[in-house]
Amino acid sequence: MNQTLDPGINEELEAMRQRVQEAEDTCLAIARGEVDAFVVGAHEEQKRVLLLAGAYQRYRQLVEHMQQGAVTCSPQGDILYANQRFAAMLDVPLSSLYAAPLESYVAVPDRARLSAFLLLSARGSRTDVTLHRRDGHIVPVRLSLTSFGDGYASILVTELTMPQRLDEVEHSLNGIRDALEVLNRVCANDESGRQAIKAIGAEINGLARLADELRDEQRRTEGG
Amino acid sequence: MSEAQQTDKWELRLYTAGQTPKSLAALSNLKKLCDEHLSGRYSIEIVDLLQNPRLAKDDQIVAIPTLVRKLPAPMRKIIGDLSDTERALVGLQLRPRK
Repeated sequence: MNQTLDPGINEELEAMRQRVQEAEDTCLAIARGEVDAFVVGAHEEQKRVLLLAGAYQRYRQLVEHMQQGAVTCSPQGDILYANQRFAAMLDVPLSSLYAAPLESYVAVPDRARLSAFLLLSARGSRTDVTLHRRDGHIVPVRLSLTSFGDGYASILVTELTMPQRLDEVEHSLNGIRDALEVLNRVCANDESGRQAIKAIGAEINGLARLADELRDEQRRTEGG
Repeated sequence: MSEAQQTDKWELRLYTAGQTPKSLAALSNLKKLCDEHLSGRYSIEIVDLLQNPRLAKDDQIVAIPTLVRKLPAPMRKIIGDLSDTERALVGLQLRPRK
């Protein structure tokens, strides 16, 4: 005697079949090496992505070969990781950096600023400090916090070249010029105010000329 | 041409984990596959689970990369980097299973 299954049971069987198929597909994909990450976590709020070892390859290569220095510090400010570029900035072997305090490579006047920067650890925060190279030369750099998780600070270290610093000076001067224009309008009927603004303007122009001369000198030095 | 292939617009969602080799390979393979078999009739949404793992819940994703065909219905899931083109086409029902 033929018996027809309850439609509800048919649906359940179909759903079960699909789950089994998906499980088999997952195992097959793993066996073939076609996946390199998994979503794990017992509860929704615990969900995270687990990467297989080889999945980090691209990121490692990117960090190791980029033009900026990269440093990861403990909350105490000790270097846990540094890339080759950072070691080259300091002219020291990479191996000597591990577990060393970052501040030991920073000029004394800038150490308080570094401490505050690490303490704040706000993502995207920046500060400028001066590093000491082994050969005694100094290297002005900008530190940018790129991420902060698990108590570690990941920092990008960008060398501030003279042209970059001069660009910043010019940018600041332009800002001051804009502010002076506003003051000039405000002090339209104030002779002493206008005289003061004129004097400040003259100083700004002097600084701008100095920046241009330094830039030209830099170009001549690099070109020579 | 299969019934699925006759549908106007395909909506595909690819779950990735940032720039892992398999995630990159999956997107590259998917693009090639779509350009060849669904030219002009598809859209690809990338869901990077490294940015937000909780989005895996929508389609019950466990392994990455995973491609989900949202449209045409019914939903289909293909797990892996789509390097096996034949299997990907069968999974998407762009080619009948042998």
